[in-house]
Amino acid sequence: MAAADLQSLTEKFQNLSEDDFKEEDTNVFLVTCQKCLEEEEVALLLEIIRDEKNQAIIKHMGWNLIGPITKCILRSSNNGNNKICLEMIHHLCTLCNPKEILLGLLEQIDEATGEQISQVVLLLLQPLQAVLLKLGKRKAYSVGLSLSTIQSRISCLPVPFTKEQIQEDKHGLCQCCCAIVQFIKPFVDVVAQSKALQTEPETAELKKELLAFCFSCLKYPLLSAQLNLFPEDSDDHPFRCFAREILGTLVSLGEPLAVAFLQHGKTTPNLEIEDVRPEEGNCTAESFACLSYLIFVQHIGLNDFPFVFGPTFLVKTNMQHVDVLLKRTEESILSKGLELLENSLLRVEHESLHQDFLEIRAVLHVVQDLVKVMTLCPIEHPRKRSLALLQLLIDKFGEEGKYKLFRCLFKSSSHAGVQGYIIQNIKNQIDIALKTNSNSKCFLGPRLTPLLHMVLSLPEGAETDLLQFSDRIMASLNLLRYLIIRQDDETDNKTGVWTELSRIENDYLKPLHLGLNMSKAHYEAEVKSTIEKKKGSHAKKAICSVTVGENKLPDMTPEMQLQVLQSALFTFDLMESVLARVEELIEVKLKSASEEKIGSC
Amino acid sequence: MTAASEPAREWSNEQLHSDDLPKKDIIKFLQDNGSDSFLAEYKLLGNVKNVAKTAKKEQLATAYNKLFETKRFKGSDSVETVTKDVKDVKINDGKPKETKLEETVDEGPPKYTKNILKKGDKTNFPKKGDTVHCWYMGTLEDGTVFDSNIQTSAKKKKAAKPLSFKVGVGKVIRGWDEALLTMSKGEKAKLEIEPEWAYGRKGLPDAKIPPNAKLFFEVELVDID
Repeated sequence: MAAADLQSLTEKFQNLSEDDFKEEDTNVFLVTCQKCLEEEEVALLLEIIRDEKNQAIIKHMGWNLIGPITKCILRSSNNGNNKICLEMIHHLCTLCNPKEILLGLLEQIDEATGEQISQVVLLLLQPLQAVLLKLGKRKAYSVGLSLSTIQSRISCLPVPFTKEQIQEDKHGLCQCCCAIVQFIKPFVDVVAQSKALQTEPETAELKKELLAFCFSCLKYPLLSAQLNLFPEDSDDHPFRCFAREILGTLVSLGEPLAVAFLQHGKTTPNLEIEDVRPEEGNCTAESFACLSYLIFVQHIGLNDFPFVFGPTFLVKTNMQHVDVLLKRTEESILSKGLELLENSLLRVEHESLHQDFLEIRAVLHVVQDLVKVMTLCPIEHPRKRSLALLQLLIDKFGEEGKYKLFRCLFKSSSHAGVQGYIIQNIKNQIDIALKTNSNSKCFLGPRLTPLLHMVLSLPEGAETDLLQFSDRIMASLNLLRYLIIRQDDETDNKTGVWTELSRIENDYLKPLHLGLNMSKAHYEAEVKSTIEKKKGSHAKKAICSVTVGENKLPDMTPEMQLQVLQSALFTFDLMESVLARVEELIEVKLKSASEEKIGSC
Repeated sequence: MTAASEPAREWSNEQLHSDDLPKKDIIKFLQDNGSDSFLAEYKLLGNVKNVAKTAKKEQLATAYNKLFETKRFKGSDSVETVTKDVKDVKINDGKPKETKLEETVDEGPPKYTKNILKKGDKTNFPKKGDTVHCWYMGTLEDGTVFDSNIQTSAKKKKAAKPLSFKVGVGKVIRGWDEALLTMSKGEKAKLEIEPEWAYGRKGLPDAKIPPNAKLFFEVELVDID
């Protein structure tokens, strides 16, 4: 039906010149073409488009056909027909006004949703490239528009995470990335072959658009992409290939890869660089962070990176990148931040970082980020890793830096586990200072005293929740015990613990005693009442529910409640026994010391 | 004090200030004839060479004239005053000397050497914090090129840019930071940098720079902002 109509219509148009086309006639033509496509009369339509005699009408309204043809391809599963459809698009691209075709193509890409995004992108990138190349010299704006349209559509696609997901490439993102690399090549070549960008504003503009696109690719998909898979054959990894291509493109465009390092802290930014980077702020911070990760951790583009920067400078700048990455909660990004931090820290020697390093805002942020990850991250692997990295960071500081870092960490973190960890570190430092017989300025003598009082304390006196703070309290009691045992000779009061003893007893040991007595009494009473309740067996409804690791825990039975209460009591017993041991040691020491004095009199 | 022990004035004022008379001669004369307290006051005690380094010609001329004015010739001091003066001098001199010593110990000799391959304009030297632009090629002792921004292939040549960075503020390895400050615009030099001022004990495994590696660079300073 539609085929016959179309044939008669085209015959009519063949005799008319472009000026005589009426809108209703062209509309009828378009509708008939659409019908033809619906009836899969594609061969006929291709013939009409190809026919020299129909050039006038096709030139006039051909770009309207892009949409219907694209939809026809998406609808049908007939490969033969799809080939013919692509041929049609190809002919339209050569025949019609490139600007109109460009709009037609971009409209299709922009409208695509869900599963169709990658199909449409893969289908239309090649014609889009052909049309853009036809635009001649003045194409920067159109290239930029095309790239941002593509980017905005593909960024809706989820980034595959596991090896299997990448291989399956369900949403076609990996294929799109490959195709995009091919798509931008001719435009990159135009910029790369230009001799003097200053005299070619249009090429400079093109460079600006391409750079913006490369930086946006660093943010998506590369920032989220898992690049550590396929270690055995990294060439097969689609995202690694994509990363390599994007970094290579940056180099071809004349953008130094060191840009992520030299931009920072500049008071007068390089005008040229400023000029080509349209979006400042969050996007570039994340893009730079990803760039740094790709270079240092993945060694992509490393050959184009200058090796003249000082290791400390690299650590300093990378701290800003690490901070950006650790602020995110997605595992793939978080682990990139941790990897980059480790990589940076391993560049410098132990004890080599100066305490001034802690004045840098990013460094303090990273310290806090690490604490946040190790205490709040729901995934175990990053939690463990961030604790290990905190230790590595501590090790890289000199004595002054460690001292400062401990104080800052202890005060800024309210997590008892972290505080306990710091106390353990302080103990290790004192131990090293005593063992090596060094005259440590920080971990012996007068400067150690405030540190000791800081850790040998209860935040809310006797009323402190001892259970919540048990990690901190146990660590501090251990430290105190160590100090007393280690300092065999009271006269050799290197740590100053003997001079401070009465204050420690009053501020710490006495309230701790009181607190332990109160807590034990309270929990024992609770145990009793729970046993009573159990006997009565009138189960009360729980007032809240608890979720752990995304699993809702069932309400606690009285047996469970009893177990919890008993384990609390057990903790108090443990604390009490260490406390008793400490007090005993103090007593023995003081006694023997006074006997010595009497003996010497 | 007898007039006989008074030495004769060897030089006139004019002679004292002229370049023909070496500083050492004046110092020698003063040390031979001045009392210890006088020499201490004018900081003329010690090895002639060292005194010559620290004392200016003018100071020496003044001291020479003063010696004849005050007649504090050798043997004019009592033993007591001499020892006291010497002590004072030691105490006064002690402090600044010590700090000076510390500084030099900290710095040590530069851990790099520079050979100029092409002279610069010798007027434009970068200051700390200036942005410098340079071409460079870095090699290891065995000649391996580990880094360069001078592109050899024609295609890449156009895209290549000189490396730009702020000099003297610790962004680059110490050897570069120090050496670049001594170069003038247009200068091309070969640098030989000791590991302490390069990548040290750690090396740079990324770039195949082994631990404790001495680095060689050819650097051309093309521009300074």
